[in-house]
Amino acid sequence: MRMPRVKRMAPACLLATSVALMFSAAFAGSAGASKSAVETPSGGTVSETGSTLLYPLFNLWSSGYSEKYPSVTIQTAGTGSGTGITDATEGTANIGASDAYLPPSDLETTPTLLNIPLAISAQLVTYNITGVTAHLKLTGKVISNIYQGKITNWNNSAISGLNPGVTLPSLPIVTLHRSDSSGDTFLFSSFLSDTDPNGWGKTVGFNTSLTFPNAPGALGEMGNSGMVAGCKATPGCIAYVGISYLTQALQSGLSYASLQNGDKQFVLPAAASIAAEAAAFTKKTPANGTISLIYGKAKGGYPIINYEYAIVNDKQSSSSTAKNIRSVLEWAVNSADGNNPTYLAQVNFQALPASVAAQSLKQIKNIK
Amino acid sequence: MAVSVRKPDMRRRTIAGLLFRVGTYLALLLVVGPALWVLIGVVVRAVPHWQWSVLTTPTKGTTGGLENAIIGTLILMFGVLIIAGSTGVMAGIYLSELAKPRRNGKPSGGLFRTASDVLSGFPSIVLGYCGYVALVVGLGWGFSLLPALIILSIMVVPYIAKSTESALRQVPNNYREGAAALGMSKGYSLRKVVLRSAIPGIVTGLLLALAIACGETAPLIYTASFTDAIPSASLIHSQGFAYLTYPVFTFYNQPAPEAHYLAYDAALLLVIIVLILLVSSRLIVARTQRHSESQGR
Amino acid sequence: MRRMSPIRRIAETARSHEEGVWQVAGRVAVLLPLAALVFAVSVLAVKAYPAIRVNGWGFLTGTKWTYGGGYALPVHTDGVAHPQGSSFGALTIITGTLQSSAIALIIAVPVSIGAAFALTERLPTWLSRPLGFAIEVLAGIPSVVIGLWGLLTLGPILSRDVYPIIGNHMPDVPVLDFFRGTPAATGQGLFTAGLVLGLMIIPIIASTTRDLFNQVPPLPKEGASALGMTEWEVANKITIPWVRSGIIGASVLGLGRALGETVAVALVSGSAIHFAPNIFGQMTTIAATILTQLDGAQTDGTGFAVATLAELALVLAVISVLVNLAAGVIIRRTSALVPSVGPT
Repeated sequence: MRMPRVKRMAPACLLATSVALMFSAAFAGSAGASKSAVETPSGGTVSETGSTLLYPLFNLWSSGYSEKYPSVTIQTAGTGSGTGITDATEGTANIGASDAYLPPSDLETTPTLLNIPLAISAQLVTYNITGVTAHLKLTGKVISNIYQGKITNWNNSAISGLNPGVTLPSLPIVTLHRSDSSGDTFLFSSFLSDTDPNGWGKTVGFNTSLTFPNAPGALGEMGNSGMVAGCKATPGCIAYVGISYLTQALQSGLSYASLQNGDKQFVLPAAASIAAEAAAFTKKTPANGTISLIYGKAKGGYPIINYEYAIVNDKQSSSSTAKNIRSVLEWAVNSADGNNPTYLAQVNFQALPASVAAQSLKQIKNIK
Repeated sequence: MAVSVRKPDMRRRTIAGLLFRVGTYLALLLVVGPALWVLIGVVVRAVPHWQWSVLTTPTKGTTGGLENAIIGTLILMFGVLIIAGSTGVMAGIYLSELAKPRRNGKPSGGLFRTASDVLSGFPSIVLGYCGYVALVVGLGWGFSLLPALIILSIMVVPYIAKSTESALRQVPNNYREGAAALGMSKGYSLRKVVLRSAIPGIVTGLLLALAIACGETAPLIYTASFTDAIPSASLIHSQGFAYLTYPVFTFYNQPAPEAHYLAYDAALLLVIIVLILLVSSRLIVARTQRHSESQGR
Repeated sequence: MRRMSPIRRIAETARSHEEGVWQVAGRVAVLLPLAALVFAVSVLAVKAYPAIRVNGWGFLTGTKWTYGGGYALPVHTDGVAHPQGSSFGALTIITGTLQSSAIALIIAVPVSIGAAFALTERLPTWLSRPLGFAIEVLAGIPSVVIGLWGLLTLGPILSRDVYPIIGNHMPDVPVLDFFRGTPAATGQGLFTAGLVLGLMIIPIIASTTRDLFNQVPPLPKEGASALGMTEWEVANKITIPWVRSGIIGASVLGLGRALGETVAVALVSGSAIHFAPNIFGQMTTIAATILTQLDGAQTDGTGFAVATLAELALVLAVISVLVNLAAGVIIRRTSALVPSVGPT
């Protein structure tokens, strides 16, 4: 039941994996030689476009990397994941940043694309209920019913039943969703699909762009800041935002929920719970990085986390460009450099588990 | 008898007139009010965190200043003025002065008018995406100044052409007839007499178009992307080009408060640039009017 | 004979053929926007072709809009690959576009005419100059700034203080019951979208109307006043008919902007792909849909989502053409009755 997606897309995974294997076999010699070191770049510009969620971290990385390797300038632009993927495919940017791994259709049309896990992010489910500051306990099924318009008031027994001791007012629920297509919508709808496979999974599904069910008063907001601002203005709202917006959400008077994971525990998003969830998926992470980290069975794991990806074409225009890109990405996934908490903690991201970082490194070596 | 019929009628007419007068003032208030409201809103958000260093440092990710974006926006506006300005003004002149009316007496250029009305109704992002497909990728120009300029120019040519045409139509016909009577060639009288009197209207139209161009975000993301680098002299292959609307929209959507401050600063700067444009256009207009009037006497 | 430099010679030739030069340059300039339109439409048509084939006429009549399972393996219909379960019917989006633009026009045209009248006929120059400046300021404010203002400032105030007055007191009879309803706390919805769009097109209509009023010769107006007409009657019977076709032309240009405006509408519409249940209800427009969905559409490796958005853009272009043709018919009818000045 869990992770139905992986099964469904098995053929594509296999295809992509075998492609990746072919490449790693071909370049095995060079890949093994300098395993954890960061290559010295040949100098020039590396351009990155894409995910606005990864954008602030890439900016931090950009200055950190340039301190060590001043011969390279990293140019960043937050344009949205889809644009980042297109830019990487068309060669208009070197690195496309994406919150979601590539769908099989993308890998089918452009088999030379790599999706390289760079770091781990998580998602908050926030709400604005007058008089309630507690972390509400919510299950994916209840949230799914809220977003489908089946639960329309905060005092519904389905919610109060999960939260004994919390006085919930009679307040209509206003569901907020992203009007722009977004990796955040992908994660949130994946969580609802996994926790409510027969309801949400069948009728709505998961994607970066989604037509949300017509819940009463449902509102679309642009961007995570739009979600926070909209939720602040709307008592009774429920919204999903990236964990890097935690401070902004709290300052706007929002609270965030404790979500039920696959082990039936209610867990708050925090460094430990995100790491616990990530650990449960470490072994399952395929060589090409395409896996959803949603709703794992890990003890104490927070159920909505994800890898943030660099989408890179493994065939670059010149070997010096390829070398620069490799150097930047190797630096980014290195636990002493880009994957160090000094960078990640500023946006509440977590480091890649060691074995996943090693897999990423292997993929990076394939950029030629 | 007639008087008793007229009286209530007169009262009704007076009331209608009064209502109309109140209505026009109310309408004016509905235009002036929001304009001031938005302006004050931008100032109130930007000023408390304003730092002058914003003008002299380029963006560094979502921090730093806005120097690169300011320069970029000014270059974009200059480029649009050259490309769209010359095309739009020429098109307006042609439609008003040069095109021969069709045989059935209708003014010509109907196809142009339809085309430019449809163009002005195109969502800017669609033009931007076409630019991405055809220019950035198709011609391999990459994210750079030229594709951005071309797309912005396509967007605003209809406005410039329309305002030029209407400014020229306001020039009284006896100017043209007088010039012809003095033996001026049509081209010469156009340049020396007709255009000169139409300059205020043309300038206003140009500046409004520039204001629209410098306020666009979506088409630029697909044609110029963004970069921290100060704009260089290269038209293509510059790997990104900075402009002020990018920080407004993208930085507003970032978690860090510093990024929000930069977004507000960028909005304020955009508004200031537009105000400077409008004030200077007024000054130009006032000068040319005084000039042409004193010449005329 | 003295030899001329080539540049000088070209300049001399140009001067002697000045009108010809103007003609050629003008023709080229007029052709450029046409070329741009042909360019844009052909890029779109090439992109949209697979979508037009698969979506068929249902694209215009259907109301179901779903991207399907983008992460499942794509399926093929008529040899075109598209995501599993994808289905695109754009009627709700087209309706939202027409509704919001209609509201914008209903607000903007009278306000523009009224403001232009106050500026040209009523106020002394020292007052009308600075106030008229506000029109240009409004035109110059970037749409993203107006959109954020609409979302963060205007919408919440309207929703709290104005909309309930309308929404709670409208009689529950056909047509008027469309005005009954509960607004969102952020004000996001059809009414706010129309209002913000209206504000954005007022400068286009008002500035042209003001110029047109200035062209109306004073004699007929003075004559009408002398005959005892009130101010309203002079405006209604003399001034406005005099420039009617010009106002219609400016309104069409404004309508074009309203149909195509993206960022501001995306922010204040609520971006819901369904019919607005009432005037406060959430909806979306073609332009806002393209803006918000294009990024995600690009993650669809089959290209079908992008193709569908291109088809949506073509639909908007067709709407623009139809609006234009309709305006042409109206202008021809009205200008047959009264003399006309100004752009058409």
